[in-house]
Amino acid sequence: MPILVRIALRNLLEHKAKSFIIGGLLALGVVILVVGNSFMDTAAAGIRKTFTENYTADVFIHAETTDPVSLFGVQSVGGREETPAIPDYARVRAIVEEADGVVGVASQVTGFALAAPRDSEETGFALMFGVMPDEYSRVFDNAVVVEGRMLEPGEEGMLLTKRQVERMAEHLEVEFKVGDDVVLTGLGNSGFKIRAVPLVGLIEYKADTEATEFISYVDADTLRILMGLTLGTDADIVLAPEATELLASVSDDDLFGAPETVDLASATAPEPVPEAETAPAAAAPATVVDSGAWHFLLARLERPAQAERVVKELNGRFEAEGIPVVAEGWKAAAGPFAQSVDVVRIVFNIAIIIVAIVAVIIMTNTLVISVIERTGEIGTMRALGAQKGFVRKMFLVETVVIAAVFGLVGTALAFGVLGALSAMNIEAGNAFLEILFAGKVLRPSVNPMSVLWSLVMVTAVSVVAHVYPVQLALRIQPVRAMQAE
Amino acid sequence: MSIIELSEVRKTYPLGKTEVQAVKGVSFRIERGDFISIAGPSGSGKTTILNMIGLVDRPSGGEVLIEGKPTSKLADRELTTLRHETLGFIFQSFNLIPVLNVRENVEFPLLLGAKRQPKKEAAEWVDFLIEEVGLTDWKGHRSNELSGGQRQRVAIARALVTKPKIVLADEPTANLDSATGEQIIELMKKINRDLETTFIFSTHDAKIVDIADHVVRLRDGLVTENFRRERAGAEA
Repeated sequence: MPILVRIALRNLLEHKAKSFIIGGLLALGVVILVVGNSFMDTAAAGIRKTFTENYTADVFIHAETTDPVSLFGVQSVGGREETPAIPDYARVRAIVEEADGVVGVASQVTGFALAAPRDSEETGFALMFGVMPDEYSRVFDNAVVVEGRMLEPGEEGMLLTKRQVERMAEHLEVEFKVGDDVVLTGLGNSGFKIRAVPLVGLIEYKADTEATEFISYVDADTLRILMGLTLGTDADIVLAPEATELLASVSDDDLFGAPETVDLASATAPEPVPEAETAPAAAAPATVVDSGAWHFLLARLERPAQAERVVKELNGRFEAEGIPVVAEGWKAAAGPFAQSVDVVRIVFNIAIIIVAIVAVIIMTNTLVISVIERTGEIGTMRALGAQKGFVRKMFLVETVVIAAVFGLVGTALAFGVLGALSAMNIEAGNAFLEILFAGKVLRPSVNPMSVLWSLVMVTAVSVVAHVYPVQLALRIQPVRAMQAE
Repeated sequence: MSIIELSEVRKTYPLGKTEVQAVKGVSFRIERGDFISIAGPSGSGKTTILNMIGLVDRPSGGEVLIEGKPTSKLADRELTTLRHETLGFIFQSFNLIPVLNVRENVEFPLLLGAKRQPKKEAAEWVDFLIEEVGLTDWKGHRSNELSGGQRQRVAIARALVTKPKIVLADEPTANLDSATGEQIIELMKKINRDLETTFIFSTHDAKIVDIADHVVRLRDGLVTENFRRERAGAEA
């Protein structure tokens, strides 16, 4: 064993009080880091699972904007900015579906509206996702129908959450019943739009988040009308020869010459999506999709860990083809609702930094005392021919050895604490804790990288703490050996 | 060429707002193979002179030459290398490294230099020195398990391990009883004869001064006597 390591290990045993103070701090630091990170990782995994399974999927694609975008729209400072539709939707969708690891894609329009039963003056607020029910249910298995039924493909109607209906009944005295019409008032690009759609069912999310309570589902066309978006396809429309001939035979007078009674009822009816032959996409999707205006595409991946790679790959493709579209991870899609985990992690990291600073101060003081105690020894080494580099290396090795030894002790203690917590079978008492626990019972997970990171952290703290004492040690002149008693 | 030459060496220490002149212009030479005692009462400047010869302290004026090489302008790194390659130290308080055992303490200086001896050769040399100082049975013991005399023997072996041309001993018997002190001086004398190592030791013990073949006597920072015994009539 090299002499420096021997000296370091024996000094550890020789100066037990010093070792105990420094080592205790380091071990405690490792316990806090490993256990804390384990909770963070467990909660992050739980939150990620909840969000990605509920409504964000793994990859989120939207049109380029100057302000950040989430599934809830553009988060602009000066007020609500309209969320732009995805340009060249068919091509974008084809690119996403072609990406390696993508197993499902769902399109979505997001909008807000005031919702009220017909003939009611009281209204409630509804955050609505406009989707294609069949496609959406292949990507998200997030909710169960507790009353009524799911939306059918092509059907006009909406689904509200049971909690939202209960809350509106309680606070606004607004009663929604399955089968009744819901009058939706939306404010889009082209002013107020009012639509009445049947409430086909009430749903409950399998896992609650802050956002899910407010999310209602509506058929995409209804929401497009409310939001003033383009209906139907934006692809090239190719008319059959007979249709072209018919159009050519109709004069302007035939169209606009004679006044007719306008049926107001039909004026508010949904504008039909034109039946058209669309040019085939580069890679045709497996199912027929509504290629009208969509705000977002949500991609489900085979493995969530692939998200970063897929996002990078997609952004590369979009940039190469000059399509102003951006792919991001689930956190961007979740917007402010996923920030709680980041906030908790930031608070945790700030606490760790404070603990680290305190630890550095205590360790520095202890090491300074140690250097003073060892002045004669250091002077002797210098007199015998030890260069300053040797003294520096000696203290560094001692620091690393103490960090490694007590880092491992701390790791063992942390595993003990986590094992004990796991064995205690602590149950999540509510939906929020269930998300944080990533299940019904707390089973803290340990990421080996997090343990390694904790050990690196405490070693770094030790190295920082030893800098000043080493400077003091290097100032010790060899003549001090002659003065040693 | 003398192995050591001191030329008008002075040393001044600050003491509050005043200065104390510990050495006031000292000049003498030490020849290769000398067994020299720097003698004098407490405060005469003998340890200060020994420190400057040992390159652990710098003179305020004058020059210390080691094998004809001036040392006053050498950088810390060069002084350290010169100390390691040329000088061995025996300290009054032994100064063994407490966490190392006898063998490791003796071996320690070998691990400091840039040049490394082959392991086997180094191990044999360390064992030889430990045998020479009579501590073969104590090789695995730490300094706190040894008597004062044994500790000083370890220090002597350690001082010799790099095969230095000069060994400096600062009052090597001061912390030992007289019988043990005499044994230590005898051991140093034996090594001086056998290995032709130059020994320079400071002492205020008259009995030990008598054993030296070259004596430099100091008082108040000045040389008052400088003579050789074995080389009759040859003043240094």
